[in-house]
Amino acid sequence: MVEFKLPDVGEGMHEGEIIKWLIKEGESVTQDQPIVEVQTDKVNAELTAPATGVVKKILFTEGDIVEVGTTIFTIQEENDISVPETFVIEKEPPVMQPADVKVNSEDITSKPHLEAARVLATPYVRQMAREMKVDIQQVKGSGPAGRIIESDLQQFIENNQFKQVNDNNNDNKILQNAAPIETVQEKGLEERILLKGIRKKIAEHMVKSVSTIPHVTHVDELEMDRLKELKDQLKTYSDNKDIKLTFLPFFVKAIVIALKEFKTLNASIDEKTNEMVLKNYYHIGIATNTNDGLIVPVIKNADQKTIFQLADEIRQMAIQAREGKLSLEQITGSTFTISNVGPIGGLHATPIINYPEAAILALHKMEPRMVVRDLEGVIRLMMNMSLSFDHRLIDGVTAVRFTNRIKELLENPILLVVEMR
Amino acid sequence: MVVGEVAIETDVIIIGGGPGGYAAAIRLGQLGKSVVLIEKDKLGGVCLNRGCIPSKALIHTADQFHRLNDFEKMGIQLPQEKTAVDLNVWQDWKKGIISQLNQGISHLCKENGVTVVKGQATFLSDDRIGVETDGDFETYKFEHAIIATGSRPFIPSFLNVDGRYILDSTTSLQLKEVPPSLSIIGGGYIGIEMGMAFAKLGTQVTIIEMANRILPQVADNLVKEVIRNAKKLGINLKTSTRVEKAIVEDGQVHLHVFSEKHGTEVIVSEKTLVTIGRIPNTQEIGLNQAGIAVDEKDYIVVDTECRTNVPHIFAIGDITPGPALAHRASKQGIVAAEVIGGLPSAIDSSFVPYVIFSDPQIAGVGFSREEAEQQGYSVKTGKFPFSANGRALATNETEGFAEVIVDAKSHILLGMHMVGADASNLIGEGVLALELSARVEDIALSMHPHPTLTEGWMEAAEAVLGHAIHIVNK
Repeated sequence: MVEFKLPDVGEGMHEGEIIKWLIKEGESVTQDQPIVEVQTDKVNAELTAPATGVVKKILFTEGDIVEVGTTIFTIQEENDISVPETFVIEKEPPVMQPADVKVNSEDITSKPHLEAARVLATPYVRQMAREMKVDIQQVKGSGPAGRIIESDLQQFIENNQFKQVNDNNNDNKILQNAAPIETVQEKGLEERILLKGIRKKIAEHMVKSVSTIPHVTHVDELEMDRLKELKDQLKTYSDNKDIKLTFLPFFVKAIVIALKEFKTLNASIDEKTNEMVLKNYYHIGIATNTNDGLIVPVIKNADQKTIFQLADEIRQMAIQAREGKLSLEQITGSTFTISNVGPIGGLHATPIINYPEAAILALHKMEPRMVVRDLEGVIRLMMNMSLSFDHRLIDGVTAVRFTNRIKELLENPILLVVEMR
Repeated sequence: MVVGEVAIETDVIIIGGGPGGYAAAIRLGQLGKSVVLIEKDKLGGVCLNRGCIPSKALIHTADQFHRLNDFEKMGIQLPQEKTAVDLNVWQDWKKGIISQLNQGISHLCKENGVTVVKGQATFLSDDRIGVETDGDFETYKFEHAIIATGSRPFIPSFLNVDGRYILDSTTSLQLKEVPPSLSIIGGGYIGIEMGMAFAKLGTQVTIIEMANRILPQVADNLVKEVIRNAKKLGINLKTSTRVEKAIVEDGQVHLHVFSEKHGTEVIVSEKTLVTIGRIPNTQEIGLNQAGIAVDEKDYIVVDTECRTNVPHIFAIGDITPGPALAHRASKQGIVAAEVIGGLPSAIDSSFVPYVIFSDPQIAGVGFSREEAEQQGYSVKTGKFPFSANGRALATNETEGFAEVIVDAKSHILLGMHMVGADASNLIGEGVLALELSARVEDIALSMHPHPTLTEGWMEAAEAVLGHAIHIVNK
């Protein structure tokens, strides 16, 4: 019998939602045949059969939230001769015939020692687990040699707050999403919604970033008139290619050029080894709003792409993101992130760095503003940008020089041509 | 069922007042349940009245008597007359011990509000039970029941236990004279314990065992020490031998035995003791009426909460599959009581220690080396002989050794076994170590008192790590 345990298909995911079963119990399957669709924090994954055989048991229904490492289905392999199950912990009373019909319990009588799988925990901790309704077999021990200690039980419960041991079907191993998702208390005076899915992931990610990285935010403004002029000039060409040209690809281009010159901004700190990691590849994450929340599709190797290619890719990814069709690969691995909140509004911000990157650049509303040029008040198309940077890696001066360079490139977009390879 | 019958209602009925049943009763009393404990004979069951306790009294007596042989070398001068054992006097002493313990249990039951009823119980349905006491019949209606009826010696049909020539473990403890000769059918732990005790009392003992060695359930290396001593005591061990016939003639038992090696032989002895196993008492208690299932060997199968297939009826002790040991029954009894009391109790450990009062004693818990390897562990072991332990030398008990078996990867202890003096009292450390998932270092690093036999565990643990102090590490 092969037990299929929910794998970690995302980066450090804890749980996934069963979206759709593609087979039924009792059906024959071949190895690598798709069995179930699972949605993790940000992506959908299709999981395939680990072996050829018959699907014996499906342990969760569609919509269930399942923890990584939990068995979700079992396959009886083709050549698997069915062995009588040994006497393992089960809550269900043994199903047997009345006394005049005998049942086989050879295993039980001959091997009394082997009856329960050993759990590395003291008797009292095992008792506590029962009191807390935790199936101790599911708990990972943090003690010496994997021993389960009191705090592991507490941790397990915290990780499973919205799950509870399902007593009804008498199987402790199945944790179901049984608690209500919304509990409206006091007739609408407050509403409680459990943190889950993308929201939960975002929450964890933000805490991690802010609690690890000393953030400093630096704000500057850009004069966009010339860039707008260039963009308008290019419109005919882009329309012909069916490309919707926005300002964003120009920013990506300018940022990549600047990153190549200011290496500490395309970097991260490896806290384990205490090393600075300077990256010679330029994957630019673009924070995108979706119905489910913020998602960051990544333009890979942005330095090797043309403005039009970037424009096209950004647009495709935004569509995919809104449809929830991005693959894990498309949302991981960025080295620098842009948060383009300008279309919505706002003057400036203190964006939080997309951990473990070194910096994030927020682009704000573009508007005609009164500015002083040659000691005269003139109206120009202005835009602010806010750069938050990791002050461990980057000094204030470097950060200002970095934004100065971006400013220089975008205010004089002809320079972008000079930097082309 | 009698029309108009009035049933006495109780929360819990317990059938059998042995070490499982009375422990359950007391625990239920503590949990505030009304409990009726039905016992057809005496509280304490086989263990107290006919098993563990009286046999240990006999073994201890035999041991003390046997030790007189060593007195001379220690400088103790005994009177010249021949020493002797009077089993009549011993019987009185034994009765005193049993009665003291009996009273203790009665007192505890009473103090915990347990009603003890003497009688023979039979299930009438899954919520009623009838109890027959000296011709009277009383019916009880219960919410929960615990079956704890225990086991009895298995006697093959060709043997007739008459208590005079052919004995079972019960009647062998009622002898008033030391028999000049005794043949024992079955070389399991009861046969070996009784055989060695009688041999020490002066009986010529023959032990007949079907397997190729005595104590076939126990690891080979442990049993070797016992075999050596049995031979020293003049016990005739006939292994790979089957008993085919038993004839009582001229006041003696003639056992016809067969082995591949010697063909058919006749063994003549004053008495024969049958100790070839025990069978569960599950036939005459109306299990069918309650719908309770048994397996093909008549054991009642239970889950980790000791529930039978009828969820409000529990079974504990020798009638459940597993070793027939009093401490297992007591643990199950307490678990069943707590589950009934609404507590999250369970049998969640496979560590059932075993103790054999042979000479030297054997005791252990967890896997033997062989079992651990079968489980797929790569194993390290360490051994320490008592011949290198100061205390063992000073008490003239140098036989045997302590052995620890550990997982080579994690050093988590998998098994602890001992053959030697007082192994029965020393295994407690092993049980605790395994239940606490200790590693071998935990034992090796703990200070053990000197001079005691417990140092054997420490040194065996150190031996696993390659640095035992009092032996040369290879």
